[in-house]
Amino acid sequence: MNEADYKELKKGGMMRQAEAGLFSVRLHVVGGRLATTQLRAIRDAADRFGRGEIHLTTRQGVEIPHIPQDALAALKHLLEPSGVGVGVCGPTVRTVTACQGRRVCPSGVIDSPELAGAVDRELYGKPVPHKFKVGVSGCVNNCMKAEENDVGIKGWIEPRWESPACTFCGVCQAVCPTKAIATSGDGRALLVDPALCIGCGDCITSCPTGSMREEIRGYRIFAGGKFGRRPSLGKRILGILRTKEDAMAAILGVLDFFREHGKPGERFGDTLQRTGFPALETFVEGRMGLP
Amino acid sequence: MPLLDITGDVCPMTFVKVKMGLQQVPTPGTLTVRLKEEALKNVISSLKTEGHRVTNVSREEGIFLLEVTKGV
Repeated sequence: MNEADYKELKKGGMMRQAEAGLFSVRLHVVGGRLATTQLRAIRDAADRFGRGEIHLTTRQGVEIPHIPQDALAALKHLLEPSGVGVGVCGPTVRTVTACQGRRVCPSGVIDSPELAGAVDRELYGKPVPHKFKVGVSGCVNNCMKAEENDVGIKGWIEPRWESPACTFCGVCQAVCPTKAIATSGDGRALLVDPALCIGCGDCITSCPTGSMREEIRGYRIFAGGKFGRRPSLGKRILGILRTKEDAMAAILGVLDFFREHGKPGERFGDTLQRTGFPALETFVEGRMGLP
Repeated sequence: MPLLDITGDVCPMTFVKVKMGLQQVPTPGTLTVRLKEEALKNVISSLKTEGHRVTNVSREEGIFLLEVTKGV
């Protein structure tokens, strides 16, 4: 088998092992969620074609190592009825990661698995200039490490201050982790600095009089993050997006920008180093029909 | 008004002591809780969840005093 063939196999989730003739088969998993029937199928496949071992990847994926090349087709066939497909590698949109989101986690602001599923259906395995990772955190506690992804999403709460009942007790200012809340010059209003606010909603949770309220419970997008040899963190782009559809549109816009401006083999963060973030934001806003 | 000092406690003991403190208070009634800034968020949010109200807040040198009105 020549290098080009190995490359094609790798794109299709068959990772050549150090030991000649063996492959670690990457599976298609979204947000680290599998049905027990799928786990059983994976176990059966590992027992039958591998060495009874399963590898859990760093991004919530599953690989079955030690599969001989001539068993690849039969392994796929065995997994098929359970709905577990084979994964991807190479210059494609990779596994979409997600936390359990608001349906499970008390801290959750958004339904992360739902958005991850939508992104997966639309983009998984699609060709891009270089590998492209998407991760969804349900809230700003950020268990999914949004800033480590080419596109990361966080559930975000934007507070709004209402005057009538406020006693200026200072609790919101004391609990704010970034000191984003200031008292106006005349002492009669509270101002939340959107550049400092990290969307945690602590001011709302702890306000004794209900004067800090939820203005938006939505999605915040981070772009250009990566780890690897030269790690760099993604940066916040756009405003807070109110709906899953808006978040999806923003992600599609970001990906189109990468396809248009990224060079082959260049990570998105490096593309952004060349183009700057304002160019990305203008492009995505244009795509979304935002002013 | 009874006073509960939890400035020396950390979560979850802050929560437990406030809960126990409120059990000693007749309904309706009030309890003053003396606490550090770090405990504010969790104490106030759990009080709200349990149906009590913080009816006054004052501050003395980095320590907060919450007047808690017991919920029915």
